[in-house]
Amino acid sequence: MNNILLSTLIFLPIIAAALVLLLPNAYKDSFKWISILVSIINLLNIFTLYNTFNRSLSTFQFLEQYEWIRMGLGNLGIISINYILGVDGINLSMVLLSGIVFLVGAVASFNIEHRPKAYHSLFLLLSGTVIGCFVALDFFLFFIFFEFMLLPMYFLIGIWGGERREYSAIKFFIYTFVGSIFILIVMIGLAMSVNDTFFSQELGTVVHTFDFRFLGDFKNYISGSLLSPDSIQLIFGIPARMFAFILLLIGFGIKLPTVPLHTWLPDAHVEAPTPVSVILAGVLLKIGAYGFIRIAYGFFPDMAFECTYVVAGAGVLSIIYGAFNALAQEDLKKMIAYSSVSHMGFVLLGLSSMTAEGVNGAIYQMFGHGILSAMLFLIAGVIYDRTHNRLIDNFRGLSSRMPLYTVAVTVGFFGALGLPSLPGFVGEFFTLMGGFQSKVLPDWVPMLATLGLVLSAGYFLWTLQKMFFGKFWVNRNHENHMKDLDIREMVMLYGLAALAVIFGIFPNLIFDISGETVKLFLQKF
Amino acid sequence: MLEKLSHILFSTRLLLPELVFAGVFLIIVTIVAFTKKSYHSHNLYNTLTISILITIGFVFYVFLSFLEQYFDSGVVLFHNLIYLDKLSIFFKLIITVSAIAVILHLWIIGYKVVGEFYAIFLALILGLFVMSMTTHFLMLYVALEMVSICSYILVAINKSKSNSEAGIKYLLTGATSSAVMLYGISLLYGMTGTLNFGSQEFATFLGQNPSWVANVAAFMTIGGLLFKLSAAPFHSWTPDVYEATPTPIVAFLSIAPKVGVIIVMVRFLSGLSIDFRLILSIVIIGSLFIGNLSALWQNNTKRMLGYSTIAHAGFMLVGLLALSQFGVQSAIFYVTTYLFITLSAFLLVDLLALKTESYELESLKGLGQENIFLGLSAVVIMIALVGFPPTVGFTGKLLIFTALWDSYQDSGNQLLLIILIISLLNTAISVFYYLRIPFYMIFKDPKGGARRYSLDIPKRVFLLIFIVLLVYLFIKPDLIMDMIEML
Repeated sequence: MNNILLSTLIFLPIIAAALVLLLPNAYKDSFKWISILVSIINLLNIFTLYNTFNRSLSTFQFLEQYEWIRMGLGNLGIISINYILGVDGINLSMVLLSGIVFLVGAVASFNIEHRPKAYHSLFLLLSGTVIGCFVALDFFLFFIFFEFMLLPMYFLIGIWGGERREYSAIKFFIYTFVGSIFILIVMIGLAMSVNDTFFSQELGTVVHTFDFRFLGDFKNYISGSLLSPDSIQLIFGIPARMFAFILLLIGFGIKLPTVPLHTWLPDAHVEAPTPVSVILAGVLLKIGAYGFIRIAYGFFPDMAFECTYVVAGAGVLSIIYGAFNALAQEDLKKMIAYSSVSHMGFVLLGLSSMTAEGVNGAIYQMFGHGILSAMLFLIAGVIYDRTHNRLIDNFRGLSSRMPLYTVAVTVGFFGALGLPSLPGFVGEFFTLMGGFQSKVLPDWVPMLATLGLVLSAGYFLWTLQKMFFGKFWVNRNHENHMKDLDIREMVMLYGLAALAVIFGIFPNLIFDISGETVKLFLQKF
Repeated sequence: MLEKLSHILFSTRLLLPELVFAGVFLIIVTIVAFTKKSYHSHNLYNTLTISILITIGFVFYVFLSFLEQYFDSGVVLFHNLIYLDKLSIFFKLIITVSAIAVILHLWIIGYKVVGEFYAIFLALILGLFVMSMTTHFLMLYVALEMVSICSYILVAINKSKSNSEAGIKYLLTGATSSAVMLYGISLLYGMTGTLNFGSQEFATFLGQNPSWVANVAAFMTIGGLLFKLSAAPFHSWTPDVYEATPTPIVAFLSIAPKVGVIIVMVRFLSGLSIDFRLILSIVIIGSLFIGNLSALWQNNTKRMLGYSTIAHAGFMLVGLLALSQFGVQSAIFYVTTYLFITLSAFLLVDLLALKTESYELESLKGLGQENIFLGLSAVVIMIALVGFPPTVGFTGKLLIFTALWDSYQDSGNQLLLIILIISLLNTAISVFYYLRIPFYMIFKDPKGGARRYSLDIPKRVFLLIFIVLLVYLFIKPDLIMDMIEML
């Protein structure tokens, strides 16, 4: 039964998407319930996964493996593409996060009135592909999901977005597509350099493979190939492996996003409808970070070691640049978007430290930021729903009229700025600690990063004070629209707040599953 | 004497399918000549053409699946004029498949064409058949001219002003490139003393000439081929012809001659003993950039597809640039899958035009909202043209890039890497204009409110077959690849 659990996670939403598409429009009220139901089933399945996951093992569990494509390549031997799924400590927490955020997104999509059939089928499709991307253990399969997820996202932003939706949808598409092209080059290069040692003995010829487990082990590289560890070839004057690593940095850096490749993010976030922003910040950005850990660092540890300064520098730059930008924003959603850039920088910092604390902290930061950013974008959605306006200056003293909302906002903001006992603190603390303990990073790098903490306290507290305290006033006579949270919003916001507190107080819920895998992962360096 | 005669008789037997084909051509010409000219008999012609095509296709299939051992090393017929191997049979098979699809397209959409059309169409296919089984310059030139002349007539057959203009443009550029090609052939003949470019002495003698002379002569020789492929710098006829010509004919011209050209290129390049990569790279870079950058500014879907085929010609040549067995296979795979993609793209454009009666992008506004099936099909077909998963366009691109990477890994030639990066970059550029079709159909609201628009069953099924094929071949590319590997 366990054997098809991961496939179920991927294909249940995709089948449901087809179902929604085929149902006649007369059932249009049921579409949102299908979304919610499927997300709940998925989350329950993920809980089963989480509970039965053996925390003392560092290898992949719940493996599913089927042969998909096996083609002869003329003089090159055979290329084998497999359908392999599995989880370990790195992606299990991401799967858990996706389950949670997609459920929240489904609930947040409740009041989508415009073309609900198309919306919910795209939403379900997105949910299947995102989970597929996290659990795929074959580079080809991973890439298919990675690329394919652009399409539903493109339509979700482009049809249901705000005023400049068409511009930001195509910008999002082009940026990520260019990133994925870089990844594609590396994918081809890796497959051409790696031999599936298991099958090649059986078949008596070179079997090029995309299997993560083979790519991650230097033993399987064909000596003399471009990306093998002993390769001395240069590409445009750069060692081949370094070239590939840089391509991956750019490719996943766009998705993460890291400064200076982040410029699609504020546009996409501002124009996207609330549930899509929630998904985008909560899960999609984590795919970039996941790619960094699994692929860039996992397959090129030697280059990662040489590039420590670049990665850490990009991380610190994102932290500080994102924070300064957030400080300058007048639009609440844009501020949150830039805070995402800033917080994702900690993931890079933790990763580049190459210490157990740093990498575990990075994984935790991904998870924690997923929960908190989902919450923050919902918060921005609440006032946008009521006034169709998000400018911070347009609101004063909301706490007197919307006490329930204010409580949720306080939890979200304090969580994000790093109050102990909430997830933001744990992630930032461990990544910074990793940074200070690291043998490869000088102390001033994490010191600079702490500046980001100060700044984030600045913009969150400032916004909180401006919008929620003082005398109640809303621009353009929207005072009467400012009703407090309804039940649906309460369920989402307080549910997420509860999760934030639980995972903030018991960070071991995540560290337990990531610990063993990270230990193995760090042996590469 | 007797020996020669028996050789000719033997050769004739193996060309039986083509002879039958020529017979049907004559029958149609006779019918056309002796019946009253009318547009009403197209059902008869359609049935006749489809049945002969299906028969021929079946014969090729049988050749390929059950009699393949006879063609393992290739058969030389008519004293070197014809060279028949599994590769040529495979290419004849896919040319036949595309012809069948085009006639079905014509029939289902309800185009009414005169009887002469079918005769010319069959003659064109015959030319392509000959083209795909020769390694002899003389035969190649005859076949190429046969294809070209038939194409000129097909383009101009409608007799409207824009048709004649396109026909004349096509004719002039075509005649020029043929002349260039002929000159190139004469130079190569002078250098090597043989007209058979598949032969050993061709390779040996060519290698003894100064490399740049041989390069220039070879480039001029492929000029006529590049014209058919609509690759730069022989591309200028493409957009006008595409815009003015009836869609099914364009669909056919955009794929069948290219298929024929690719097999000739494969044979020509594999016999070429000089380093031809630089010139080929320039052709590729030119085609990619001219095609993609010009397509960005088009507001007419057929013109846009015209520029897109220029870019795709570049991609087809990328596989050949790798100059390896796998490179050739990947190019063949690319051409085969591009056949389905481009036929479906033109079918889609025509189905849309049925409603809008225009090929302007503007007129597509909101069509995808009125008919979700068409909207989804547009998405699938356009992302297949981009080369985006989960469509077979992705697999095709992946294979040619893999071949190129491997060739780079073996040779360390930086040029190959530059081409790899440029072609990938061009994929990103192409996203812009391909996505505009689904963008207009789905994102823009229809003018004057949404009206339901539904297709009748045959149209829907025909389009659905293509869509399913595009996705299914992505999931199971081995279906085609196993066949190609056997060649």
